[in-house]
Amino acid sequence: MNGYAGSIVRVDLTAGKTSTISTSDYEQWIGGHGMGSAIFFDLVRDKTIDGFDPGNVVTIMTSPLSGTLVPAASGRTEVQGIGVQSYPIGWFTRSNFGGRFAAMLKYAGWDGIVIEGKADRPVWVDIRNGRVSIRDCKDLSLWGTDTRTCQERIWGYVAGKREISDWWDADGRGARTTQRPAVLTIGPAGENLSRIACLVHDAGHGSGQGGFGAVWGSKKLKAISVIGTGGITVHDPKALVQTRLWQIRTYGSDFQDRKVGQFGTVFYSPPQPVTLWGDPPGRARPYEGVRPSGCVGCHAGCRGRYESGIANEAVCMTTLFYGGARTLDIQRKASELLNRYGLNAFEMSRGVDYLRDLSKQGLIGPGKRIDFPLDFAGFGSLEFVEQLVKMISYRNDGLGHEHKGGDDLAEGFVRAAKKWGRLEEDLKTGVLDFPHWGLPNHYEPRTELEWGYGSILGDRDINEHDFNVFFWEGLISSFLGRKPDRTVEETVRIIADKLVPYQGDTRMLDFSNENMYSVPMAKLVAWHRYYTRFWKQSALFCDWRWPDFVNPSGPGQVGSTGESEPRFLNAVTGKGLTFLDGIMLGRKIWNLDHAIWTLQGRHRDMVHFAEYIYCVPFSGAAFVPGKKDGKWDYVDASRRRIDKGEFERFKTRFYELESWDPATGYPTRSGLASLKLGYVADELEKRGKLGKDAVAKNPERSLHE
Amino acid sequence: MAKKTTEDLLSRKRLSRRSFLKLSGTAALGIAAGSIFPGGVWLDHAVAAIPVSLGYLLVDTKKCQGCLSCMLACSLVHEGVEDLSLSRIQVVQDSLQKWPEDLSVEQCRQCVDPACVRSCPTGALRSDPRFGNVRAVDAGKCVGCKKCLSACPFPPGRTVWNPAARRAAKCDLCAGAPHHWDKAGGGPGGKQACVEVCPVKAIKFTAEIPVQEGDTGYKVNLRGPEWRRLGYPTK
Repeated sequence: MNGYAGSIVRVDLTAGKTSTISTSDYEQWIGGHGMGSAIFFDLVRDKTIDGFDPGNVVTIMTSPLSGTLVPAASGRTEVQGIGVQSYPIGWFTRSNFGGRFAAMLKYAGWDGIVIEGKADRPVWVDIRNGRVSIRDCKDLSLWGTDTRTCQERIWGYVAGKREISDWWDADGRGARTTQRPAVLTIGPAGENLSRIACLVHDAGHGSGQGGFGAVWGSKKLKAISVIGTGGITVHDPKALVQTRLWQIRTYGSDFQDRKVGQFGTVFYSPPQPVTLWGDPPGRARPYEGVRPSGCVGCHAGCRGRYESGIANEAVCMTTLFYGGARTLDIQRKASELLNRYGLNAFEMSRGVDYLRDLSKQGLIGPGKRIDFPLDFAGFGSLEFVEQLVKMISYRNDGLGHEHKGGDDLAEGFVRAAKKWGRLEEDLKTGVLDFPHWGLPNHYEPRTELEWGYGSILGDRDINEHDFNVFFWEGLISSFLGRKPDRTVEETVRIIADKLVPYQGDTRMLDFSNENMYSVPMAKLVAWHRYYTRFWKQSALFCDWRWPDFVNPSGPGQVGSTGESEPRFLNAVTGKGLTFLDGIMLGRKIWNLDHAIWTLQGRHRDMVHFAEYIYCVPFSGAAFVPGKKDGKWDYVDASRRRIDKGEFERFKTRFYELESWDPATGYPTRSGLASLKLGYVADELEKRGKLGKDAVAKNPERSLHE
Repeated sequence: MAKKTTEDLLSRKRLSRRSFLKLSGTAALGIAAGSIFPGGVWLDHAVAAIPVSLGYLLVDTKKCQGCLSCMLACSLVHEGVEDLSLSRIQVVQDSLQKWPEDLSVEQCRQCVDPACVRSCPTGALRSDPRFGNVRAVDAGKCVGCKKCLSACPFPPGRTVWNPAARRAAKCDLCAGAPHHWDKAGGGPGGKQACVEVCPVKAIKFTAEIPVQEGDTGYKVNLRGPEWRRLGYPTK
């Protein structure tokens, strides 16, 4: 099986035993998310259990591309399971992270890890090639450590020494390596079951969403360490090298030739840390030695490692956090705190904004209506953010004393607001900027429609930047007055051509008011789900470099998406998949996920944004592509809100497109059968959650409308 | 030639090391080794001197982004698999450390006086005249004694061990890479996978013999104005 290790390890923490699943049993799903959803569906009988239930299964999956030369597709690991962060239901959810873990797991001989049950005392999993051991945390005093200390102790233990600069025996049988074990760990926040706790790998790679830190904490699982010395066979090594070199030469940035790409998150970005420290964000760069830091196989690292060693590998929201810090140094240390204690940066950032708002209203603080151990007069100092992070991580006042304030926030800011009796009011005004499933706002649902719709129709803030190009180009051309690289019509046509099987339908990219609830918009959202579920979350092409839709270096500025993804996948696996095959498999995976959410209790009546999305016009700047009087332009979408009634109609259109029963949102037998998911229909029927076929359109027809 | 004259020529840069060695031939290398390279080995006249390699890799360990693409490319073109332990170039890193101590790139030096070659009892590890005298393992002759693994004085030892094939392997500047992607192939006259693939151009091929003593000949500064433009230090 080219690209695969061949086995998945099952770790039963209750029994303290491990066993093996043959990867070939799930090979049809290719890897990553598809495999994770399929394994979860098979192993978890009762899908209504809470994320803290020992019956929750967490999958940690690689793809056949992990650990290979495929650019920006070799480093990601996909984590799935029932989450505990979303509200009111902890949806079956996903989060992924970069670095070295997926590659190392493959080299150790494993395509993935399945975690089940709950240990009777804190443990960590020690994987050395084929040998998998469940070890007591006590021996290394791991429980209670931050993510840095934990990893350093594990490295020292596994390698037999702290300094690793020479070949060492990785598995006691002479298997040589010079590499450190790749470790995925929780910090104190996860140990204390904070719903906003994450998993951390190396200095700053985080599996941020879903509260998997707390899920691991509830299983008494501290860390998983893996060292591997084996290899992954590749179907066509020459083709892989040639394709890699061609891809970078044709579509990458060549900083040596002054063809410097765009700072940020596209394929042609140069290797540059995407750090947003400073006020305004991104303005301040630390003046010290630094190298770019890239995940395994990446052609353009998006992180950095610094002379001061502070906040190595921290990026994006982790660096946007605590924007009101008094100095750059304090803000960087705040980033470091999030990564060491293991807290989700998005939730913390929006949450801190919320707390500041409440403080300005005089509602929160020591002795105030919401008694809070932190005085906001100290906001901006290092002491303030340290105490805040510790409050949440230890569920106390952040200084070692009991206080329910920490306990409240450890539940996430939406549950905290509910506890304080403020949820309804603050979600109506938008002061609590958490628009979908109790999760923080990322790209604005009122303007960047595919983001908001995809999030509310799914399980989480999608965090999929595929169509961001419109958001940024719109701002640059309209608001900042700079000429974009191409006209909006050109951008629309280039992208529309790639949206197979709906290629050419430019109406899908019309974000104007007149089109925002239409069938073509529903098609865009659907296509987005399919592409990301397969190509990005199963094959594991990284969200920050793929898709390559528009590319200034490409012929006619056309990027390589549609051609390159299958080329690379096939060079590694030899499977001969087309781009469309991947899209169709993505549709299957998306529908499997939706079936799981339905079994968890989803009904169309609960699929709604927070009230402010409907009541309050968006107050920021936003320019979206739209067709006005037959002409494409960036139209002003600031001041926009979602109309609740129109959104209900949009849901119906989306459900019909997906062959879900519009009355309930439940999947139908005919829809699932067309995807060869008849067994899933059986499960839904048994639980009384199968939608009625009669009202659903012919699934084949709806796909090709 | 008297030692003093050799040194004099070199110090006044009238004659590069390269040219001198070419002119004087392999026997003269044995005599001159001690004088050109302080602290180097004085070879016995009776011992056949090893011809110098016509190619070397230089690395910039402050520039490297730690993506391991060089290692992935190396094992792929040599072995047809992605396997860090079979890569002839090793990047060793600690993400929690401070730059620049957080990472080191350890490439084969194609030493003028290769300890690995001298350690091989069967002549499997030798300088290959077909490919510019690269120090490479003839797989057919290697008996898997592992002497070369510990002979390399630079940790991590630059010879790699293939446990499945039970033999050693070494950087050959891609001369003998069976999965080489380019028609021109590898070796000092061709292309090296690590050099071509490195996303930040932190590995460079050179035909000039680097200073053999210490690291300064092999760990160099490859960061120019383009690197500074990206916001990185060039020192």
